[in-house]
Amino acid sequence: MSRTRPEFEPITAGRSGALAIRAVGKTHHIDGQPLEVLRDVSLDIGPGEFVSIVGASGCGKSTLLRLIVGLDNDYQGEIRLDDRRILSTSLDRGIVFQDHRLFPWMTVEENVAVALDRRPLGREAKKKLVAESLALVNLSGFEGAYPHQLSGGMAQRAAIARALINEPKVLLLDEPFGALDALTRLKLQTELQALRRRNQGTMLMVTHDVEEALYLADRVVIMQGGPGRIARIVPVPFPHPRDRGSAAFARLKDEILAELMREPELGSAQVTILSQDRRR
Amino acid sequence: MLKVLRSLRSIALSWSGIATLLLAWWLNTRLGLFPPQVLAPPERVAAAFVAGVRSGDLARNLVASLSVLAAGYVIGATLGVAFGVAMARSRTIESYTSGLFHAIRQVPTIAFIPMLVLMFGIEATFKIVVVGKASFYPAALAAYTAVQGLPRRYFDVADVYRLSPLARLRHVILPASLPPVLTGLRLSLSRAWVALVAAELLVADRGIGQMMELGRQTFRLDVVLMGVVLIGAIGFLLDRGFKRVERLLVRGAPA
Ligand SMILES: Nc1ncnc2c1ncn2[C@@H]1O[C@H](COP(=O)(O)OP(=O)(O)OP(=O)(O)O)[C@@H](O)[C@H]1O
Ligand SMILES: [Mg+2]
Repeated sequence: MSRTRPEFEPITAGRSGALAIRAVGKTHHIDGQPLEVLRDVSLDIGPGEFVSIVGASGCGKSTLLRLIVGLDNDYQGEIRLDDRRILSTSLDRGIVFQDHRLFPWMTVEENVAVALDRRPLGREAKKKLVAESLALVNLSGFEGAYPHQLSGGMAQRAAIARALINEPKVLLLDEPFGALDALTRLKLQTELQALRRRNQGTMLMVTHDVEEALYLADRVVIMQGGPGRIARIVPVPFPHPRDRGSAAFARLKDEILAELMREPELGSAQVTILSQDRRR
Repeated sequence: MLKVLRSLRSIALSWSGIATLLLAWWLNTRLGLFPPQVLAPPERVAAAFVAGVRSGDLARNLVASLSVLAAGYVIGATLGVAFGVAMARSRTIESYTSGLFHAIRQVPTIAFIPMLVLMFGIEATFKIVVVGKASFYPAALAAYTAVQGLPRRYFDVADVYRLSPLARLRHVILPASLPPVLTGLRLSLSRAWVALVAAELLVADRGIGQMMELGRQTFRLDVVLMGVVLIGAIGFLLDRGFKRVERLLVRGAPA
C-alpha cells in the first residue's frame, strides 16, 4: 500500500494519528475588543479517518485548523495527537492553506524542498523525495516552474506535495480547492481520494462545498457561527468510489444544506451532536 | 516579429524625444534667441567634449566624481539598510530614533553643505559624507517598509515546516524583502548622484560639478552644457544598470 522507501524511515512511522479535540475555545481580539470565535468544540478523529468540516464563512474553521496545526496555542481546552498535547507546530502535522502560500521566489521544486529543511537527509535523498512527492500530485515536469507560471490547480497541487512530503500523521486542508473552477475541483477531488488510498494519514478538510465533503469524507462536521461550535456530525455511509448522482447522496446533501441554512438560535450555544456520533 | 517591431517602436519613440530637443537647441542657436555665449550651439559642446577627452581633464574629473559616488553610496546605503532593518525589528530603536530620523529627512542634503565644509573641508571626505547622507534615507526607508510589511502568511509556512532561523532568513526574510529594498537602493543611487553634483557645483576641488563651475566662471558655457549632458547620461546609465541587476537578483514574480 504505502510507497516503498526502505532507505528512509518515515518520521511518522509507528504512530497512528488519532486527534482528540477537547472543549476547545478561542477568543480573538480585534482592536482590543474580544471576539469569541470558538466555543466548546470537541471532536475525536480516528487514525486514518477523513473528516470534513462545513460551515458558514467566519464561523472559525480556519481558526480551528490553525490551533490544530500548532500555529496558535493561546486557547482554552486541549488538543491531543496520539495522546500528546499539541503545543506548537510539528512535522507530523501538515497543512494546505486556503491560499497556496508557495513562495513566489522559489521554483516548485524548491518550494516543496523547503518542507525538508529540518530532515537530516542528504541532498540526493531530498531530491528524490521531492521528485516522488511531485509525481504523487501529477506535477512531474514542472519542477523548475515558478508559482506565477502555474495554474491555480497546479499551485494547489504543489502545496499538497509540500504538505505530504514529510508523511504527516495528520493532514489539514483548509478549503484547498475553494478558489478553483468546478472542473479542476472535481479532478482534484478524485486525485485527493486516490492519494488518500496510498497515504494512510488522518485527514481533516474544511470546505464550503457540501458535495465535496460528502464525496471525500467519512464524517461531515457541521459548524455554526457566533461563536463557532459544532452543530452536528453526520457519518457518510457510502463506499468509495462514491456516486455523486445517487439518490442517497443527494438526500444527505440536502439534509446537510438544510442544517447549514438554519439560523442559529440567538443566545443559544447548545450543541446537538447525534448520540451515535459521539465517539469516546 | 511583432515583438521586434514593438521594441523598435519604443526605441524610436524614446530617441525621438532627444532628437526633438537637439533640434530645438540647434534652431535656437541658429535663430539667435540667446547669444552663443549663453546657449552654446551643439557643435561647440561636442568640440568641448572632444577637447576634454583629449586633454584627460574629463576623465580625471569623472574618476574623481564616480569614485566618491561609489564610496559614499556603499557606506550610506549599507548603513541605511542596516538602520531600516533595525528600526523595523525593534520597537525600542524605532521609538528612540524615528523622530530624529524623520526630522532630518525633511532637510535637503544641500542645506548641510556649509556646515559639512567647515567640518570636513572641500575634498573627498566632505563629498563622501554628502553622498552617504543622500543614499542613507531612501535605503533606510525602503528596508524599514520592506521588513515591516513582510506578510505573516510567509512566516506561517516557515513555522509549519519548522525552518531554522538561518533558513528563515535565507529562504523567507531576505527574498521577500529583496525587491522593495532593491527599488529603494536604486532610488538611493540616483539621489546620491544628484546630491554629489550639487555639492561639487557649490564647493569642491575637483569632479564633474567643479568642472562646470569653473566653466561658468570662465564663461565657457559650452563646458557647462557638456556637463549637463554628461550628468544626465551618467544618471540614466546608473539607473538602467541597476535595473539590470535587479532583474538578475529577483527571481519569480512578486506575490
Ligand atoms: N488573527 C485574527 N485576529 C482577529 N480576529 C481574527 C483573526 N483570525 C480570524 N479572526 C476572526 O475570527 C473569525 C473566524 O475566522 P476564520 O478565518 O476562522 O473563519 P472561517 O470559518 O475560516 O471563514 P471562511 O470560511 O470565510 O474561511 C472571524 O470573525 C475573523 O474575523
Ligand atoms: Mg477560512
